[in-house]
Amino acid sequence: MIETHHLSKLYSRGVYALRDLSLTIDKGEFLFLTGSSGAGKSTLLRLLLREDRPTEGTITVAGRPLNDLSRDQVQSYRRTVGFVFQDFRLIRRFTVFQNVAFVMRVLGVAVAVQQRKTFQVLKWVGLQHRMNALPDDLSGGEQQRVAIARALVNDPQLILADEPTGNLDPDLSLDIMNLFREINAGGTTVVVATHDRELIRRVGRRAITLDHGRVVEVA
Amino acid sequence: MRAIRYAFDEAVGSLWRGRQSGLLSMATIAVALFVLGGFLLATSNLDRLSLEWSRAAEISVYLHDDVTPADRGDVERLLAPGGAVAAYEFVSKEEALRRFKLMFADLAATADTLDDNPLPASYEVRLRPSADAQGQVDGLVDKLRASAGVSDVRYDREWLDRLLSAVGIIRRVGLALGAVLTIAAALTVANVVRLALDGRRDELEIMQLVGAPRSYIRGPFVMEGVLQGGIGALAALTLLAALFLATRARYLAPLASAVNLSSIRFLSPELCLMLVAGGMMVGCLGGIVAATGRT
Repeated sequence: MIETHHLSKLYSRGVYALRDLSLTIDKGEFLFLTGSSGAGKSTLLRLLLREDRPTEGTITVAGRPLNDLSRDQVQSYRRTVGFVFQDFRLIRRFTVFQNVAFVMRVLGVAVAVQQRKTFQVLKWVGLQHRMNALPDDLSGGEQQRVAIARALVNDPQLILADEPTGNLDPDLSLDIMNLFREINAGGTTVVVATHDRELIRRVGRRAITLDHGRVVEVA
Repeated sequence: MRAIRYAFDEAVGSLWRGRQSGLLSMATIAVALFVLGGFLLATSNLDRLSLEWSRAAEISVYLHDDVTPADRGDVERLLAPGGAVAAYEFVSKEEALRRFKLMFADLAATADTLDDNPLPASYEVRLRPSADAQGQVDGLVDKLRASAGVSDVRYDREWLDRLLSAVGIIRRVGLALGAVLTIAAALTVANVVRLALDGRRDELEIMQLVGAPRSYIRGPFVMEGVLQGGIGALAALTLLAALFLATRARYLAPLASAVNLSSIRFLSPELCLMLVAGGMMVGCLGGIVAATGRT
């Protein structure tokens, strides 16, 4: 599903965020990326989302070489990827329902389909009763569930999550991880960046530890 | 179609949320197009005035008293209708005297005391309206002047030329002023749309991350500019029409009659449409400038 070969990312101040990283993530795999702050987890996710380009090396997702994508191809690629961030990134003036439906709305999906799929996915994350609430009226865990629903609504083949439990307490973190496990059980590849080793231990999936942009451990 | 609908819905919503700054840019466009429309109104009526005056323009060809029938034949061949000439009339010496007495009744008695009729015979030539193909008329005048039996040719176009050049100057000044104001309006729209864009940064970020097409990302901002431009242009036209109606009876009608113009007219429907389309284009340009590079 994901292959990187000798991937490096050098920032303008001369610091390598990733250095000579070669790894393979299988289709349908659930993988943790871990390491301390500045290890390169978020940089790798940014490259996987094609928000940035590598300085050296190649990165391929589902057969697409991300280095060479045109602007239109980037748009098309991103429609196959769902993303979840630590800070949720919900649109504050939109209700829960509107936040989730927004993805399909801006992709030109028919209104009836938007409504049906949004309701289904909100029901799946257990928030159908809060669909008219604004993000500010929700708890952190609920907001992250909305973000997960938004990531899922477009049936992505890959979910990227950057510290999705960073703002949540341990119990809520496990709830969120269970959602990711269920998503993964449906065949979607899931890559979660987290520095929470206890959470990784409790979930029990393959974890790649990065340090200064290099792989130091695969467990 | 969905993209246009989306852009329209979002633009209307954004205009409503940012109505105070939106009003500012619409007012700027309205002022620019009001000035431009005012100049267009003036020049379109001055164009009609010069056309009507051109239609009334005549050439007077005065003949020597001893003109021979053959000379007159040559002159009449030059004046044959077609080309610059619409029609001509021969005014004999006797007819000229009769008209003089009719026109200047006070001097009629004096004229009778003269031994000879001093007034020359002439041709009064009416020109075709399109004959302001000036070269054609000038060529004809030159040929008439060179003809045997012709003592003088009067073709006083100076006043008409002055009017035409004044119309040209007014048009150029209006266009220049309109262009400057329009650029200012486009910049105002760009800044107002940019404010709206900054206020929706979170939405734009999500749109980019989910791979929304550019038409969905930029469309609402371009549409917002188009709406601002269109509304501003309609406001300008409404204001111009109100001013025209308010002053027509009291000032414009007497002015028209003073300068021998049949009537002073408002802008043609085509010009009105052009102004609205122009306003929308200016707004569109502002929207594109604001959206480009930020989305």
